[in-house]
Amino acid sequence: MSRFLSVLVHGFWKDLPPFRLVLGLCPALAVTASANNGMGMGLSVTFVLIFSNLTISLLRNIIPDKVRIASYIVIIATLVVLVEMLLQAYFFGLSQQLGIYIPLIVVNCIILGRAEAFASRNPAFLSAVDGFSVGLGFTLSLTVVGSIREILGTGTWFGIPLTGPDFEPFAFMVKAPGAFICLGLILGLMNAYGRWRGENIIQ
Amino acid sequence: MREIAKLVLVLGLICGISAGSLATVRTQLADRIEQQNDLFVRGPALELLLQQPAQDILSNKLVIESPEGSALIFYTMESGEVNGLAIETIGKGGYGGDIALMLGVDLKSNQLLGLEIIKHQETPGIGAQIEKTAFRNQWSKKSANDPVSLIADGGTIDGISGATYSTKAVMDGTQKALSTFKNSKDRISELIEQANSTDKPIE
Repeated sequence: MSRFLSVLVHGFWKDLPPFRLVLGLCPALAVTASANNGMGMGLSVTFVLIFSNLTISLLRNIIPDKVRIASYIVIIATLVVLVEMLLQAYFFGLSQQLGIYIPLIVVNCIILGRAEAFASRNPAFLSAVDGFSVGLGFTLSLTVVGSIREILGTGTWFGIPLTGPDFEPFAFMVKAPGAFICLGLILGLMNAYGRWRGENIIQ
Repeated sequence: MREIAKLVLVLGLICGISAGSLATVRTQLADRIEQQNDLFVRGPALELLLQQPAQDILSNKLVIESPEGSALIFYTMESGEVNGLAIETIGKGGYGGDIALMLGVDLKSNQLLGLEIIKHQETPGIGAQIEKTAFRNQWSKKSANDPVSLIADGGTIDGISGATYSTKAVMDGTQKALSTFKNSKDRISELIEQANSTDKPIE
């Protein structure tokens, strides 16, 4: 039971992607120009992560060691194409916004990382919980980065105008440099907090 | 030997099951994706090209088969006569795959109404510049009977530097649309007459 709980919560702080694991930075930088896009990307990754962990864990005794990476990639790619088609069928606007970054989930290190580090040596249910935890952590991170960038860069949050007409949005926040600065500052603050709490951070 | 056979078998099975399930989902969702495409991509493009509400045009749909591949044709009517066509073709050879585009033709003045990009997977910031109006505007007001070609090939279209493949694919789609228009003019008007006589018997 305690193992279940520790797996359930580890994705929210201890192994929070992209800040603590520093994996999956490409989508975290590229699609977080708005909170909505960040959340959409995060949820897509969560979906893929839960089912890839589940499938890989179920097949972990069948897949021979020598072809395991190839097998994982085939499974992950299948799920990603599935997500892409589902988005096109039911959330067309979002699929247009995320564009090329949806197919790129295949090469997102978080998914392959969780498959190799967790799902390949743990039972199915625990692996799915791990996928859920890490995926939700990723969604939260991307939504936060997206929110900060959207509020400062365009003065809206999830498309709702927040600031008055007197506020001049600094447009660079929704461009690439804004992504790096925002991510870097959050990463720095989290590391400072972790060090203050006396955590042993190895990076 | 037995080990290799096992590797091949497992990987082959995983690939087979993946491909099978994706094909099933694809056929299930194809209609819905096509609908969404009509609503969010083709609709706005048709409105821009033909200056009429999308729901009026979307039902006026024809498919023309030619040796170069099939072309999708939308038309507008004015007092019983066809006055505008939008020809959708696939340009081969883009950097990220095929590019679907739509060319508008005004039948009264025999001029091109413009170019709209329907679907592409070109690199953001490089090949994706084919979406920009500055590039696409080069198509409007050209005669529909003359060939359209790049400046490099002695024509008038200024290509996008750094995106040769994307530009070439757009040109390929344009050539197909123009030759469909030229070669199948009679066939198109025949089909439109047929469609009108069967669709609306009494009016």
